[in-house]
Amino acid sequence: MDRVLYLEFERCIGCRACQAACRECGGHDAKERNYVEYIDFMESRQTFPMMCMHCKDPACARVCPANAIQITKDGVVLSAMEEKCIGCRNCTFGCPFGIPKFDFEKNIMYKCDMCYERTSQDISPMCASVCPSEAIRFIGFEEMMELRRKRAQSNLLQGKKPTEQNKWNFVPETFGVYTE
Amino acid sequence: MNFFSLEKSFYSRASMYSFIVILFLFITMFFGTNQFKHIDLALSGYMVAAAVCFIGLVYRIVAFAMRPATRRVDGRSRKNLKNKARKRRTWKAITVTLFENIVLQKFIFKRGLYRGIQHLLVAYGCIGSFIITFGLVFGWFHFELVDPNHYAVSVLGLKTFVMDVEGWPAFMIYNGLNWTAAMCLIGLSMMFYRRIKDRDLQVTQRFEFDLVPLFILLAVTLTGLALTMSAVLFHGTLYMTISMIHQLTVITLLIYFPFGKLFHFPLRPLATAVPLNYQVGEDIPMHSCKRCGTSYAAQEQIEDVVSILQDNSFDLQLEDGSYLAEYCWDCRRKLRAMRQMNMLNPRTKDPYAPIDTNTGISMPGFSKKKA
Repeated sequence: MDRVLYLEFERCIGCRACQAACRECGGHDAKERNYVEYIDFMESRQTFPMMCMHCKDPACARVCPANAIQITKDGVVLSAMEEKCIGCRNCTFGCPFGIPKFDFEKNIMYKCDMCYERTSQDISPMCASVCPSEAIRFIGFEEMMELRRKRAQSNLLQGKKPTEQNKWNFVPETFGVYTE
Repeated sequence: MNFFSLEKSFYSRASMYSFIVILFLFITMFFGTNQFKHIDLALSGYMVAAAVCFIGLVYRIVAFAMRPATRRVDGRSRKNLKNKARKRRTWKAITVTLFENIVLQKFIFKRGLYRGIQHLLVAYGCIGSFIITFGLVFGWFHFELVDPNHYAVSVLGLKTFVMDVEGWPAFMIYNGLNWTAAMCLIGLSMMFYRRIKDRDLQVTQRFEFDLVPLFILLAVTLTGLALTMSAVLFHGTLYMTISMIHQLTVITLLIYFPFGKLFHFPLRPLATAVPLNYQVGEDIPMHSCKRCGTSYAAQEQIEDVVSILQDNSFDLQLEDGSYLAEYCWDCRRKLRAMRQMNMLNPRTKDPYAPIDTNTGISMPGFSKKKA
């Protein structure tokens, strides 16, 4: 699997199709694992989708006392292993992005596992397959890098040059530059 | 006894605890077998494998306890166990977790009745089998003939109760391993059926992790039941061969036990730490989010998570010295999205200041000309 989940927040139209799709996914037990939230409801209706970042060194796995969160060889951070999770919720507090959810009924943590049963077979995850505005996409790594370069260029054109120190501030805000 | 100074005389902590466990086994064997007079040599293979199993378990548990996260939870639990003010909470946590989580396994039943039943059967089948096996192998209990019609059950060299040789308690005890094997067989069949039927599982399951333990358990169960079959139905045909095969499968199981999926068994009691330390109630201080002020967790848990992350060299401290774990989930997601969209208020370092979306860097809207 050399494809990545690519999110563009400003493309999100807040339809929550991704959440509905996530609920439909087998094994998710009709509970969504992703988020669509307003940045600031009082300011604008801009929403953003939020999935797991699948960190290389996940904080959630590090704070787990039972070592229940496993990472596949593709780099996907899975939900807690059912037989190990002791339900302490450390992962939900440790995650810097606030991603893992907790099921108090079943006493287990669950989180976006990038629909591992789909993505391991190179099928795009449920959320990406339904997103109407392409805010969530499951694309090749090269394609993603190209998009990122284009977006950086569009920032440059606006006369703000990223430096090594603040290049991550230049996550682009242009809408639709790359749909030539 | 100071364990720290004792540890220095061993190669490692794991070897120290392994030594203690083996010593304990040796001493109980000494008393159980009447000073090594009644060792069942036919079970010597099991004995060695069980010792290896115990050493493996100790090694794994010590390795787990050395992880920063487990060490922190462990330390917190020890501290709270000693706390007299929390006595009531402590005992409630231990008894409730023991009964609901481990004896009744309620949380598995909530994941599905089918799964609950299959797990309960296999769990009690295995625990029962292990108790009987270890008991016989290490001589923790054995039967003594008091008179031609009565057996006495001797536990660690002490006679406990006397039963009729032909009576039903005797029948139940003699066939103890058969009952547990039957439970395992039913549970394992249900598990195999689920693994075959459930297509989600088929994609995510790993052969060496999810299926191998089932195959090993099945092999142990079937060969064990075949022994009974051979003795009862076929007048002992191939009994020795089957018993050798059974011994081989059990040894495989014992050596596999600490290193595979079955290791969740010694790990499960750690679940007590959750109601003991972290469960939210009126008697413990709560932590409120630094940004929105909602109480979302126990103060102690947030402290623990922050220190575990520090031990793991995660730099999740914001400009004002607060840690990301000190914000609630919603605020953490928002902070991250705004950071990525370059919308955190650039005029102040205060991460929980009111949101100012007009940063001058980006203009909202589709058709507006860019600045």
